[in-house]
Amino acid sequence: METRDLKPFHYIRPESLQEAGRYLASEEAVKLLGGGNTLLLQIRSGQESPDILLDVKHLPGFGDVRYHHNQGLKLGAAVNLQHLVVGLEIRRHYPLLHQTAQKLASPQVRNRATIGGTLAWASPISELAAAMLCYDAVCHTWSPRGHREIPLAEFYLGDYQTALARDEIITHVHLPPFPNRTYGIYHRQTVRHDGRRMIAGAAVLAYRKQQALTHWRIAVLGMDNRPKRIPDAEAVLEGTPGEAEIARALEIVQEQIHPADVDYARADYRRASLNALLKQAITEVIHHLQSIRS
Amino acid sequence: MKHHISFTINGQSMELTVLSHQTLLEVIRNDLRLTGAKHGCSTGECGACSVIMNGEVVNACMVLAPEVDGTDILTVEGLSDGEELHPLQKSFIDHHGVQCGYCAPGMLISAKALLSRTSRPHEEEIREALVGNLCRCGAYADIIKSIQVASRARR
Amino acid sequence: MVMRKTHIIGKPFPLVEAQKKLTGTSCYAGDEPFGPDLLHARILFSTRGHARFQLRHVDVARKQPGVVALITGADLQTRLGATIEDRMLLAVEEVHFAGQPLAVVAAESPEAASAALAAMEVVYEDMPGVYDIESALAANAPQVHPAMATYRGFDKLDAQPERNIAHRVSFRRGDVDAALAQAAFVVERTYTAAPLQHAPLETHGGVAQLQGQDELTMWMHVQAPFLQRQIIARALHMPPENLRIITHCVGGSFGSKVFVSVEGLLAAIAREAGGRPVRLHLTREEEFLAVFMTPAMRAQVTMGLDEAGRIVAFRGIYDWNVGASVDAFLREMQRIALAGTGPYAIPHAEVQVNAIYTHLLPAAPMRGLSVAQVHWAVEQLVDELAEEAGLSPLLLRQRNLVKGGDQLFPNFVMHANGLESCILETTRAIGWQPDQNREVTGTIARGKGMAMGWSPIIISPGCKSRATIQCDGENLCTVIVDGVDVGQGFYAFITQLIAFELNFPSEWITVLPTDTANYESDWQAIYNNLLWSTGKVLLQATAELKRQILSYVSELWEEPMTHLDLVDGDVISYATQRRLSVLKLLQEGTGDGPPPVFRATGVYEATAKHDGLDGLLQSFATTGFAAEVAVNLETGDLKVLQLAGAADVGHAINPEGVKAQLKGAIIQSTSQTLLEELRFKDGVPVTLDFMTYPIATTADMPQKIHPIVVEIPQSSGPYGARDLSNHALVGASAAIGNAIYRATGVRIRELPITAQRLYDALKQFHASRTRADAEENRGQ
Ligand SMILES: Cc1cc2nc3c(=O)[nH]c(=O)nc-3n(C[C@H](O)[C@H](O)[C@H](O)COP(=O)(O)OP(=O)(O)OC[C@H]3O[C@@H](n4cnc5c(N)ncnc54)[C@H](O)[C@@H]3O)c2cc1C
Ligand code: FES
Ligand code: FES
Repeated sequence: METRDLKPFHYIRPESLQEAGRYLASEEAVKLLGGGNTLLLQIRSGQESPDILLDVKHLPGFGDVRYHHNQGLKLGAAVNLQHLVVGLEIRRHYPLLHQTAQKLASPQVRNRATIGGTLAWASPISELAAAMLCYDAVCHTWSPRGHREIPLAEFYLGDYQTALARDEIITHVHLPPFPNRTYGIYHRQTVRHDGRRMIAGAAVLAYRKQQALTHWRIAVLGMDNRPKRIPDAEAVLEGTPGEAEIARALEIVQEQIHPADVDYARADYRRASLNALLKQAITEVIHHLQSIRS
Repeated sequence: MKHHISFTINGQSMELTVLSHQTLLEVIRNDLRLTGAKHGCSTGECGACSVIMNGEVVNACMVLAPEVDGTDILTVEGLSDGEELHPLQKSFIDHHGVQCGYCAPGMLISAKALLSRTSRPHEEEIREALVGNLCRCGAYADIIKSIQVASRARR
Repeated sequence: MVMRKTHIIGKPFPLVEAQKKLTGTSCYAGDEPFGPDLLHARILFSTRGHARFQLRHVDVARKQPGVVALITGADLQTRLGATIEDRMLLAVEEVHFAGQPLAVVAAESPEAASAALAAMEVVYEDMPGVYDIESALAANAPQVHPAMATYRGFDKLDAQPERNIAHRVSFRRGDVDAALAQAAFVVERTYTAAPLQHAPLETHGGVAQLQGQDELTMWMHVQAPFLQRQIIARALHMPPENLRIITHCVGGSFGSKVFVSVEGLLAAIAREAGGRPVRLHLTREEEFLAVFMTPAMRAQVTMGLDEAGRIVAFRGIYDWNVGASVDAFLREMQRIALAGTGPYAIPHAEVQVNAIYTHLLPAAPMRGLSVAQVHWAVEQLVDELAEEAGLSPLLLRQRNLVKGGDQLFPNFVMHANGLESCILETTRAIGWQPDQNREVTGTIARGKGMAMGWSPIIISPGCKSRATIQCDGENLCTVIVDGVDVGQGFYAFITQLIAFELNFPSEWITVLPTDTANYESDWQAIYNNLLWSTGKVLLQATAELKRQILSYVSELWEEPMTHLDLVDGDVISYATQRRLSVLKLLQEGTGDGPPPVFRATGVYEATAKHDGLDGLLQSFATTGFAAEVAVNLETGDLKVLQLAGAADVGHAINPEGVKAQLKGAIIQSTSQTLLEELRFKDGVPVTLDFMTYPIATTADMPQKIHPIVVEIPQSSGPYGARDLSNHALVGASAAIGNAIYRATGVRIRELPITAQRLYDALKQFHASRTRADAEENRGQ
């Protein structure tokens, strides 16, 4: 016998956005259900007690994956994270996304976790967010008031808050196309080596235009109340960064982060860890891009 | 709220009335009395409850019963072909892939999902495929070996 | 007995229960079907460390729909314990630890049971508590058990309740102070180890049902059903024979399912449930909150070396934070004292082991039986001493290890043992070199280290083992034992032994679920000597069974028994070459009358004195470990690249099974060494899931594992074999600690070795080096 440990709610699988909108407009406590990896835990712990769960995984277009070399990548909100590991278009054109997803949680979790649910989760240690931030992802949403586009860089408001309205649904995410000579790296330090208990995480990306390394992206995890990029540090690296630029970029990062003490790692230690990871990632990106034959 | 769901489990079609807030794990253990999948945590951390849903391994404690409508489920009970054990099961027996055995059904399911994607996985790929399955007895080394040998024995 | 490698013994043999476990066939307690009558129990646990409390609205809770029975401490005021009854079954007026049971309810559904708990309100009035060793020992500290002197069993303990000392064990030989004063090198250090939790993947629970007047049957996955029967029956004031515990597959125990934790509450509530079966199954959170912890250790250790490189003196004071109950830990203390010097022949030695009461959840030993933590201290201390004296750690160990013939304790002469082979083979396996054990590439430093271990095998006073074998036409060969297979391959061992002794095909043999109805109640062999004592009784039983079968056939054939033998499932006569299939004999008989049934029982009872706590030191299990680690010097991130573990098992009856146990122990110790720590806030556990209490995954296991079996036969064991699974992790954590030191120059003396600890130590080391360099420059 298994003990039933979820408090009662109504599970509803809407057929269309309009139908979902009607529920969202009602008086009841409605939560959208993606893969449930976060939501079911919140319900079990009493943090959430919804009356209605709207399963958005079957809405039209939510499972779509489309890539076009001029238009970039469109990922439906219900696409699961395992697709980022196995999808050929992802491996080929967005390798940082592939690399990050491969490290994220377990096959069991990735097979269920959705793009929409994971982005909406808004945790400061969301690894998907780090990669998506590097690729300039834009969230496309729908609410009874219409469609919206929210760049991911503006999506996270901190403390698990997002720019989503109460009745707003992520429909898909869009990533612009990236030139071939783009390279990205994600490094993390966690207490357990499968990723549990994050001390620090850093994703770095850039591409090479002739001899210059440009379009630098630095996203850090666990360093603030949200996943975030550090544009000031990115700017320092434009061109042909040497030791001094790297040192300066690292310095700026340290100035602009505010890690918290957690029970398994102090803030000063998390800073040091991030610094080491970031230095390594930047160096590797430079090394890799410079080694490509022109 | 009640739902009428139909799905296949271990090759058999099934129709059932379930509640919104029941999980797949409750359904298979309580309603269907298939007790192979185990309960270890309810937080998606241990993988003892792993089953295959539409070809992919999932934690049954993290799937709601109504979501199962229209899917194809495989539990450890469906691995063997009648009396004939699955090569993975045989290999786990031969290579000590079981100590207390509580994690074993979940391990087998993860292994099965891996082998259906990658027929000859490297040790590193097997380790990655098992990160969601905890084994407190620490039998990982022999579990990995069991999977490796089974994958080589196939065809 | 001579050591024999035969067609079964000493050959690979898979686990008997494996097939059931792998096909999902029900065998764990939670899998049993009990029909619609089944009730569900839940327990209300305290959420404060030390407080007076009032339980309100109990009547409201009782009247909740679906509630069948509800008991609180007001209804059932009783104490619990195997030796000292230092726990309440249900708290009365005062809670002594967070996780202490306050009430138990049985209801028609789990939801109804939860609703009943929610209907009650607990009003706490906090009292000052002591949560660590230092504050518990401080002058004027609150007393955890002011009334300890009135508890049953108090007279057996060496306690000082007013100082929160629950029990003390010590030994001494020679003159330690004098020897230390003369030693050429002396190192004195403090090492600590965090409290852990067993965290079996299967949480605690089971089903209980009242049958007849007051006869209770419990289907529970526990490691020591006979011991539990004794404890529960006494707490509930029922005759032990009225309580029956049936145990089949156990989903991991590691020591947490030996002594009673929540099982007593299940029994209590089932007695009030009008004969309906009641199920209890703890959630993971409850498992972390309310089941045993393993005690935290503080070790103050001193070692002295003479000019010739001989360890001449040792002093060790081992303090253990046993929480609010010492009962389950008591019998480990003698073991810790005996192992306390490490596996060395030291002429002057003193070991003191203290159990300290605090307001934390009760302590119980874990796999490794706390001797693992002792070696964390001693085996790093040996390396520190070697460093101090400029000696190779391997040489220092070889020069001082205890050898066969050494008399270290009164009435005990050390037997031949595998210590030297263990350390030589493990260091060889990882490629340890006398001088080049460090390698730095970029920010990654690699290093290699070693450690040895010994762990006493002690026969508890009054400890019994029993085995009954029955041969009949229906079930062929069934075996009843009092021990339990918790995954260590116990049933495989039994099957192998019987198949060998009776020369039966192993398919004939079925080990039945352990059932207390089979034997009278008593203390039983549990972890440290289960194989040894069960082997003994199985050999008795098989000998008797063989005699019965041969004597039956000898009458039939009118041939002397000495001509007859059992060969490949047949009785044969060497004299007349006649052959009779035992299978046929059992199933069809010999024509006249029903077919025969043969049955024999073996019994072993320890002769050690019954009432004391000290058991009989029977032998030492010996081990050796060698580790290679890689440390990121900037982040403190640590990877175990290789871990070799060797154990002297006397004779590997099931070599692959032994290796499986060794590998498991290596991975579990890696987990304990690097990841695990039970944390509390004001005495309340805050590590309540696998996220906050991480245990090793495949991503954390050593990249390479070398299990090494050493076989120095033990004359008194079955076929020369010795118990292993509990001792197999003694020394592993120190090998990792020593490897870290080699790699980085920093010594970690606290368990677990977290990345932050390593980072802090590296930073401090770096700063002191820079300072030293600067001073040197100034000096020039
Ligand atoms: C065992 C375990 C291990 C994990 N390990 C990692 C790890 O290593 N690294 C890591 O980064 N993360 C990890 N996670 C977190 C995991 O990535 C997230 O829980 C998961 O990706 C969330 O996605 P979901 O689809 O399951 O979301 P859900 O739980 O279904 O939903 C999450 C939130 O998003 C909302 N939502 C869902 N869909 C939409 C939508 N379309 N539009 C708007 N809002 C929506 C929901 O209402 C809810 O508030 C782990 C989680 C678990 C359980
Ligand atoms: S019970 Fe489902 S993951 Fe642990
Ligand atoms: S064999 Fe016991 S948990 Fe894996």
